[in-house]
Amino acid sequence: MQPKPSILLVDDETAITDNLAPFLTRSGFEVAVASNGEEALEKVATGHPDLLVLDVLMPRLDGREVLRRLRQGGNWTPILLLTQIGEAGERAMALEEGADDYLNKPFDPHELVARIKAVLRRARPGQPPLSASNRLACGSLILDRVSHRVLLNEAELTLTPKAVMLLEYMLTHPDELVSRERLLDVVWGWDYPVGTRAVDTRVAELRRALDDDPGAPRYIETIPGQGYRFVGKVETLP
Amino acid sequence: MKTSRWVISLAPGVIGIGLALYFFLSYDASHDHIVYLRADLGALSLLFGLGLSILAALGFALWGWVEQVRQKAAADAAEERRRFLRRLDHELKNPLTAIRAGLANLTEVPSEDGRRKALASVEAQTLRLSRLSADLRKLAELEVRLVERSPVDVPALLHEAFSMAQEQPGAAERHLNLSIPQAPWPLPNIQGDPDLLLLAVHNLLDNALKFSRPGDTLELHAFEDGAEIVIEVADTGPGIPEEEQPHVWEELYRGEAGRGIPGSGLGLALVRAIAERHNGRVSLRSRLRQGTVFTLRLPAGLKQSVTDQTQPVSKV
Repeated sequence: MQPKPSILLVDDETAITDNLAPFLTRSGFEVAVASNGEEALEKVATGHPDLLVLDVLMPRLDGREVLRRLRQGGNWTPILLLTQIGEAGERAMALEEGADDYLNKPFDPHELVARIKAVLRRARPGQPPLSASNRLACGSLILDRVSHRVLLNEAELTLTPKAVMLLEYMLTHPDELVSRERLLDVVWGWDYPVGTRAVDTRVAELRRALDDDPGAPRYIETIPGQGYRFVGKVETLP
Repeated sequence: MKTSRWVISLAPGVIGIGLALYFFLSYDASHDHIVYLRADLGALSLLFGLGLSILAALGFALWGWVEQVRQKAAADAAEERRRFLRRLDHELKNPLTAIRAGLANLTEVPSEDGRRKALASVEAQTLRLSRLSADLRKLAELEVRLVERSPVDVPALLHEAFSMAQEQPGAAERHLNLSIPQAPWPLPNIQGDPDLLLLAVHNLLDNALKFSRPGDTLELHAFEDGAEIVIEVADTGPGIPEEEQPHVWEELYRGEAGRGIPGSGLGLALVRAIAERHNGRVSLRSRLRQGTVFTLRLPAGLKQSVTDQTQPVSKV
């Protein structure tokens, strides 16, 4: 039997840790809890967890600062941020500063488990995640995450800002089934009744621009009734 | 404060009059060029002094008026904030009360079936609270986030919103009509965020579906009015009392008729916020027992030129 993955759950709200920790334990993880950023850094140094679930808003040392210090120190333990404000800036920051993924509060605990499993599957031990890289490539498709430009065969594509965000998320989460609701949350920051159609519209826009055939996709595959998956091989560029 | 304003306003006038008097009184009969100059100086100082007084008085009046407007705006904002907090408190109270009762039932009810019911109810209430928090976040974010400016195909947008309304519960018992003009020319595009605009029309239709009764007629129309696109959602529902009409666009407002109807109370506030972010506006006309029409006015985008490379993104 494989050892259980160990998770460090960091949140100052005991109401949240008290309920989430047993849930995560039941879901097959070894769970440790820290109630602030300083404690989290200590426990990362001593316990070497496989993954951190990190709340952003905390007293003393907030989650953002913990993330920054770990990454600056060359520690690439996978981190899942729990964002609260739901502002687009907060979400962009999460991925830019090297979080592996994030989840907006309030969330369904089952969704948290699904995110944790996906991040653990994707993690390359000791190496930066794709989301820490400024330039990503899939064949002749290049995404510059700083300038938000997309190049295909060295020609720049004209895309709406949301299509670029969607592509960014797909590229940083390759080979992962991403539900429409998840994409909606990523790109718009909130779900709404008309949302899942909006996702389909943007995916169609991306496919047109990338000349991707849904029947034989090189980039984005439709998983009927479930969502989308990025099927290309993604590499980091210097 | 007030007296000092009077003193400052009157002082130049008084000094002007004094100087003029001095110049006139010191006038002597010798026909000297200097005398003429002194007489003119008198008139000049009188005019200058009075002019300065009038200017100062006007300045103070304007200042006072601006101050008053600012105070009124501050009082309005404070009142709006209090009203919002009151409504939020009310909106939180009901689900929380239900949750506490549900939890009490969970521990005390002996039957398995009763516990299952209590659990389902607690879960439903927490979902309701989640939706409220999500809607509040949407509103807050709408005010600050960058709104995309793509050409939006209005007929396609309306068709999509309409087809979604037809799938809603209650749609089958109402007569739904959609009319989009084809002549003399099709509706021009709107420059904006297709997702937000779809959400706005969706919310208006959703609202009309919720507040109308089975058998009522709902209509979605759009037309061009000068430089604006007008989108209307009309219903033959119960209508909105006149005193409630100015408030329906406010966050968390619930009219008398809205008490038993599910929803976060933020749908129309979102419509207004979306319209405003697109430099548009919202309004409504309603008659009791006859019906209501909600109007969304948005500036029409520029006609698509040859150089415009981007395609309408809301095409279905």
